[in-house]
Amino acid sequence: MLLNSQSIQGHYGSSTLKSDAVKPMNEESTTHTRTGQWEDALSYVAVNQDKAAYAELFAYFAPRLKAFGMKMFGNEQQALEMVQDTMLNVWRKARLFDPTRGCASTWIFTIARNVRFDMLRKKQSRKDDISADDLWYDGNYPEQEDSGSHQWDTLLMAEKVAPHFERLPEAQRQVMTKVYLEEKSHQEVSDELAIPLGTVKSRIRLALDRLREALDDTRS
Amino acid sequence: MTHAVKHHPGIPLLEQYVEGTLEADVALAVAAHIDLCPHCQQLCQDLAVEQGTQLQLMKPVDTQDSEPDWQTMIDSITAEPPLANPPRQHKGPITVQFKDKTFQVPRALARLVEQQTKWTQLGSIANNKLPAGDKRHVSLLYIDKDTAIPQHTHRGLEITLILSGAIVDEQGQYGVGDILINTPDDTHTPRTLPDQDCLCLSVLSAPLKFNKGITRLLNPLQHFFY
Repeated sequence: MLLNSQSIQGHYGSSTLKSDAVKPMNEESTTHTRTGQWEDALSYVAVNQDKAAYAELFAYFAPRLKAFGMKMFGNEQQALEMVQDTMLNVWRKARLFDPTRGCASTWIFTIARNVRFDMLRKKQSRKDDISADDLWYDGNYPEQEDSGSHQWDTLLMAEKVAPHFERLPEAQRQVMTKVYLEEKSHQEVSDELAIPLGTVKSRIRLALDRLREALDDTRS
Repeated sequence: MTHAVKHHPGIPLLEQYVEGTLEADVALAVAAHIDLCPHCQQLCQDLAVEQGTQLQLMKPVDTQDSEPDWQTMIDSITAEPPLANPPRQHKGPITVQFKDKTFQVPRALARLVEQQTKWTQLGSIANNKLPAGDKRHVSLLYIDKDTAIPQHTHRGLEITLILSGAIVDEQGQYGVGDILINTPDDTHTPRTLPDQDCLCLSVLSAPLKFNKGITRLLNPLQHFFY
């Protein structure tokens, strides 16, 4: 990560935590988030332990992590334990985040998932058993060459794809419709749906994989 | 390693693996497969991006009044020092020994093979139970060349991941990185090649539960890719 700590100084003004930075959490959910906002904030935390940047990240993600934890645990105490542990990892490990490899939200999700997994194992007193570190590689696999979705364009024209297309998960079908039927650019779709560009690309790859699988099924 | 992985876990399995809701012992076999399979590495990265996006779009459940004391949480977290030295990943190949042979195993198994016990040999097959999973049903299996693999009867799934060598059955050949998932109804008879021994990871799991979508366990992508 080529971050010049000089240029970062001052972006958030002083690094002291303004107490009002965390107040308007509920309003926060309705405001539009800028592309790259959370990735930048993580970089400030990584380089300067910038508390103001951290407070912004916290204000956005902590309530959402809590909602996620409530869904997974169905229990507020455990949900909050997961939030605390996840957000502590975000603070302490910020410099392990590599913005060239993905979104902040992906990184934070994987931390929360691992925290939750280890919490559940610990509860079952399986401390020496399989841990999140065994299951999920905390690093980057060598980058893959993009196999290119263009080679599937003709496949998508085939009539037999249509029924499978309808059965794609809603989020994937929506992106595929905009890209392949309305011929919008990935960036346009990202802007329209207010989702990161990386998510658009991921949904396309996932949808193509599902279509391949479905077509393979019809063959046999 | 020139063998291209051809037999992958199906998308429902990968989804549960990425969510963290898959049974741990099955997830271990999936994780070891992913270490060996660039295609599934990309798929899982995409699935994680989707999960992250869902998290980002999630609606907070609290009202202003019911909100926890976030400020206290922030203060206690930011009082902690950042991680001084990020833990380094396992460097170099991870290996296991059986008699005079050395085999390389995937990263996911690194910690567990360090704690491996000893090999139990029965004829042409040797078993090394790893300290993981329910009822210690996760093991390394060494199978000598030209050997038929005995069928277990089991109410769950039997997952086999090839780590070295190959296995053949009526459907074809499985090489390094390929994953075989047998249900209790499967009646095929896998065996090793006439001239090559085989090391695999074997997981006997409890029956899996799927709460959504198709329950397809294997992804037969090979017809399209190769």
